[in-house]
Amino acid sequence: MISSAFEYSRATSVDDALAKLQAANGDAKLLAGGHSLIPVMKFRLSEPKMLIDISRIPELSGIRKKGDKIEIGAGTVHHEVATSSLLQQACPMMAETAATIGDPQVRNRGTLGGSIAHADPSADYPAALLALDAEIHVKGLNGARVIKARDFFQGLFTVDLADEIIVAVQFAPLKAAAYAKLYQRASHFAIVGVAAALDVSKGVITSARIGVTGASSHATRLPDVEDALTGKAPSEKTIATAVRTAGAALEDLNSDIHASKEYRRAMIPVFAERAITAALARA
Amino acid sequence: MDMLARELKMDPAELRRKNFIQPNEFPFTTEVGAIYDSGDYENALDVALKAAQWDKLKAERDAARAEGRLVGIGLSMYVEVCGIGPSSSLPTGGWEHSQVTIERDGRISATTGASPHGQGNETTFAQMLADQFGIPLEHITILHGDTGIVKQGIGTFGSRSQAVGGVALQMAGTKVKTKMAKFAAAMLEAHEDDLVFENGMISVKGSPTSGKSFATVASFAYIPVPLPEGLEPGLSDEAFFEPSNNTYPFGCHITMLEIDRKTGEPTLLRMIAVDDAGNLINPLIVEGQIHGGLAQGIGQAMIEEVVYDEHGQLLTGSFMDYAIPRAIDFPRFELTSAVTPTPVNPLGAKGVGEAGTLGSTPSIVAAAVDALSEFGVKHIDMMLRPEKLWRIIQGGQS
Repeated sequence: MISSAFEYSRATSVDDALAKLQAANGDAKLLAGGHSLIPVMKFRLSEPKMLIDISRIPELSGIRKKGDKIEIGAGTVHHEVATSSLLQQACPMMAETAATIGDPQVRNRGTLGGSIAHADPSADYPAALLALDAEIHVKGLNGARVIKARDFFQGLFTVDLADEIIVAVQFAPLKAAAYAKLYQRASHFAIVGVAAALDVSKGVITSARIGVTGASSHATRLPDVEDALTGKAPSEKTIATAVRTAGAALEDLNSDIHASKEYRRAMIPVFAERAITAALARA
Repeated sequence: MDMLARELKMDPAELRRKNFIQPNEFPFTTEVGAIYDSGDYENALDVALKAAQWDKLKAERDAARAEGRLVGIGLSMYVEVCGIGPSSSLPTGGWEHSQVTIERDGRISATTGASPHGQGNETTFAQMLADQFGIPLEHITILHGDTGIVKQGIGTFGSRSQAVGGVALQMAGTKVKTKMAKFAAAMLEAHEDDLVFENGMISVKGSPTSGKSFATVASFAYIPVPLPEGLEPGLSDEAFFEPSNNTYPFGCHITMLEIDRKTGEPTLLRMIAVDDAGNLINPLIVEGQIHGGLAQGIGQAMIEEVVYDEHGQLLTGSFMDYAIPRAIDFPRFELTSAVTPTPVNPLGAKGVGEAGTLGSTPSIVAAAVDALSEFGVKHIDMMLRPEKLWRIIQGGQS
């Protein structure tokens, strides 16, 4: 349970971190809150020779308005997201999602960027970012890129990143969105977590985005449910009908000591229904 | 008991009531040879039923069920073995040891072999000596855990710290007090039986202003000029205590719990605990012990499980997978106590370290069984993993 030896270097800016990353020639890992990286290092599943600490880079942290969007710096800790009055008012789902992560110790160290870069299949943020149709802003030595959340999460612990640093996440704030999850009782990760974001106009759901995490190898959208909701007047029946087969098309369902495939599959409609109902209550 | 009660269509509390060993039957030898020291089980039940407002609680459960909710109540009565124990039942020896020394400045240092590791025994033991000698708590130091200082000891386990270690401490204290009283009697020209130790003074009963300070007498005991007849200088003595029997504390726990019909997740709504541990020295510390026990019982019944794969590899090897109960997992604990002293030791204290775990675990599982009774459930193995409960619900509905 003790990691192998490593060098440590603190980066002062994103460019400095990128330079250090290149100099290490593939032997370095970025360290932010360390809440994903340190545990895998302790198990020696990861043995980087160098840790580049990006946790004190000022440009990486903070929650702010950016035009008609909200930007959250990648180094922002979950606690800050959970307690942000801007998010609580303009986009309560984001604060709500952060508040369900781990426990206070985790929330005061773990960062948004670290969580989505690691892309644990049970992490909470990915579902919320999918539902908000968020953009992930990254920077590399060859310049900056913007990746849609739906293109970013590609597989088990696999995201669209190559020697790049996540700088921030941007999304259009939305009130009618909510996150509901079944807790894994030890880690408080999601066994199944569903984020629902709805656009409601004149008594009709004009569009819906549903993100699910925990259920399969990586967080993903539920297009069937989204289609079934779109154009409908919100009602208990509409929701019940829309979620009936939620997740049925997912093929790579997770199974572990906490929940079988069958149980996970059965929980997707339950938590989809809860998330959609809660989102509508905010519309 | 619950299965039988259901079969007989009888209130589970009343079925237990019919089967209690009565207070006048103690000491009671059980079929397996244990000799229960003392007990008033019906009292513990009554105190718990009253605290829970049993009939109202059942009505609340039934009202919730009428709304389609899966709510259940579990009741458990337990008898545990504490204050372990006579050497005949403990190969390592069943006694405990203490040495009490009154220093020349009037402070007391006392060793105990019942070494605390977080239970708060230092406080309880110091309280006992403060009471015995009438001096401030902060003048007392409890020494433990260092074999260079503590010359004898068996240890802290089997809820024996108070019922065995505490008694040894009390006995050593009494020996030293008796000797100190002889020195004080010589100084005050009084009879040692007429002395009272209080407010940091040793004085003749009825004339508190005539006394000597505790520290003055302590100092005299080490430099006694002239040396009172029949005494030798110093104030330190030791005692061993071996109980004639274990103690058998008991109690009644009541749990109300709800299971989410769609997910199988159990949630504790109420937990009422009545634990009769005999005489209590420090009720706050006893409450803390019971809180800890309830937390452990909740963990065991609801979330803690060691899982191995078919090759014997531990799958719950970190706290990411092995759940430790946290504050978020608990309801408000409702504690009430009852006191039936034990005749096994002079303190009448039985021990409480494991009480919370013993009572809570079965009451939680019984509540889950009750909550799922509409599906014909009669028994559920621990722990209450949501998927397990969900499968019962699914099976019941198909």
